[in-house]
Amino acid sequence: MSAGQIHDLGYKRYVGSRRAVSTRWTVIMRHQIATAWAGWWRFKLWLVAAFMVTAVSSVLLYTLGDKLFRRIGGFGGALTRFVDGILPDSTIWYCKAGFLVSLAISATVVAGDLQSGAFTFYFARSMRPRDYVLGKLAGLGVILALIMAAGPLVLALVRVGLSDDLDQAIAMLPTLYKALAVGALGTVLYTAIPLGFSALIANRRHAMAVWAAYYLLVGWLALGLSLLTTPALSALDLASALHAVSLHLFGLHETGRAGDPPTSAALIAILGHAAIAIGLVVWRVRRAQQTGVGGAS
Amino acid sequence: MTALIELGGLTKRYGAITALDGVTAAVDGKIIGLLGPNGAGKSTLLKCMLGLLPYEGTARVLGLEAARDGAEIRDRVGYMPEQESFLSGMSAVELCTYAGELSGLPRTEAMQRAHAALYYAGLEEKRYQPIDGYSTGMKQRVKLAQALVHDPEILFLDEPTNGLDPRSREEMLALIVDLPVRRGCAIVLSTHLLPDVDRVCDQAVIMHRGGVRFAGTIDELRGARGRDSELLVTVKADAARLADELTRAGATCRVTSPIALQVDLPASATSQLVFAAARTAGLQVRELGVRRESVEAAFLRVLGEDGAARTAAPGPHDGGAR
Repeated sequence: MSAGQIHDLGYKRYVGSRRAVSTRWTVIMRHQIATAWAGWWRFKLWLVAAFMVTAVSSVLLYTLGDKLFRRIGGFGGALTRFVDGILPDSTIWYCKAGFLVSLAISATVVAGDLQSGAFTFYFARSMRPRDYVLGKLAGLGVILALIMAAGPLVLALVRVGLSDDLDQAIAMLPTLYKALAVGALGTVLYTAIPLGFSALIANRRHAMAVWAAYYLLVGWLALGLSLLTTPALSALDLASALHAVSLHLFGLHETGRAGDPPTSAALIAILGHAAIAIGLVVWRVRRAQQTGVGGAS
Repeated sequence: MTALIELGGLTKRYGAITALDGVTAAVDGKIIGLLGPNGAGKSTLLKCMLGLLPYEGTARVLGLEAARDGAEIRDRVGYMPEQESFLSGMSAVELCTYAGELSGLPRTEAMQRAHAALYYAGLEEKRYQPIDGYSTGMKQRVKLAQALVHDPEILFLDEPTNGLDPRSREEMLALIVDLPVRRGCAIVLSTHLLPDVDRVCDQAVIMHRGGVRFAGTIDELRGARGRDSELLVTVKADAARLADELTRAGATCRVTSPIALQVDLPASATSQLVFAAARTAGLQVRELGVRRESVEAAFLRVLGEDGAARTAAPGPHDGGAR
């Protein structure tokens, strides 16, 4: 622009209606989803991986669930356990994809906004802290649900679809709810908990590192200690906790590993972590609202 | 008619510290300079006016009470922050569209207005590039555009010319002057750069130690000091000769350039003494006016000795008054 020259495409005062303040969190949600979708390695790659898990599991369900195959290869019930366990055991694989997405996205959200000064951008407008928290949780929730909930739901549909007759299909319907419950819990795990870490540590890279360290190292340590002390301790390995809940819902908890945590401990661990994490996010965002606009003085 | 900003006994305490101490003022105008040394309470006042902090007393912006209608005020106010406040990885168009949507505009409207605001701010084709690679001047333009995109009635500009080279500063000031004319929005300009205030503002609010020390027009700020006995005289040539003549007549003179001098007339004398002295010296008076303070001098006077000392010795993060 040359000095003194002002361009204007024509200005008209806006007289139309504005979106209600109470629904503006959906703008943040859409933006969060669009941002995650923009790159390959942060989300799409792991979505493809989750799709592969679903595809392979579906093929296994279809082939091993075949009546003839079951008749000739019962292996003393081992095959039945394997087939019944395909869906709940698939959470182990979805957890790996979910963790990687949470590492790349969930664990960086609040920390990234703190670093870039984005809270000033948000709160100079009519956004409230709860709009931000809700928008981010919902956006991340949709992203993680595509990894953690969509796959189990598809597998549950495959199982229902492979029923021998209508009566069996109706009897299998609760599988859908159970798959949704596992998916929802997994979504909460990889959405809220890493978001809490990103609120706790105001640096993107550090938040990623601490979340990874907590998830992997504390998890392994807890698993190891649980073998020496009490199985409940292994609930601190969040992936194991989710697997334990999944096995319980599908009635396979008796066949789980020796170190698997009790279901109640697993649920408390996941939901407790999530509650603390959401509390941290709310605290951090409220604080950012009051200090972000107009400098710190 | 309701004033743009009305403050009544506005008090804000952070524990034992009183950031705003019963601030009372009614502010109107097109471009209002908000001045004060660091720690004067400008930021706290801004936060209270945007409804971001609880307070005692009243703070009405556009006739709305900030404590109750903060969200509506923020829909009708644009804020250009001093510090960077961008979202990493976004282009200027994406950021401004997002800003418009967050302020309640429908997506299509937000996008159209984002383009218009960025074009107006002078970003033209660069608006499609990621902000991360922008220069300081370009970032300042994006900050202005994102504050404008939702069509605010008041713009709060926090140090808008900070870090700009002289040319970019001129362009930014030209935009600030143009905004009330073209878009009909009032501007509250918070800055340490007093020449900027002198150049663009028609009103000033000076804050110090949590209180308002002055609120009024720039002319009142400077002219309140003007007296008929303190004159500025410009002659065609040889100001020194006129100074000698006036000194003989009892005036006190200071030659500021070969053609200009400041004159303090003796008691009971009028400006006729200057013309008489010029006639005697054979000089032609080109301009004669009441001497007024610069905005900087008026600012320091309003703050008093304590304020002057504070602004003269800014801390490590303190812009200080310039």
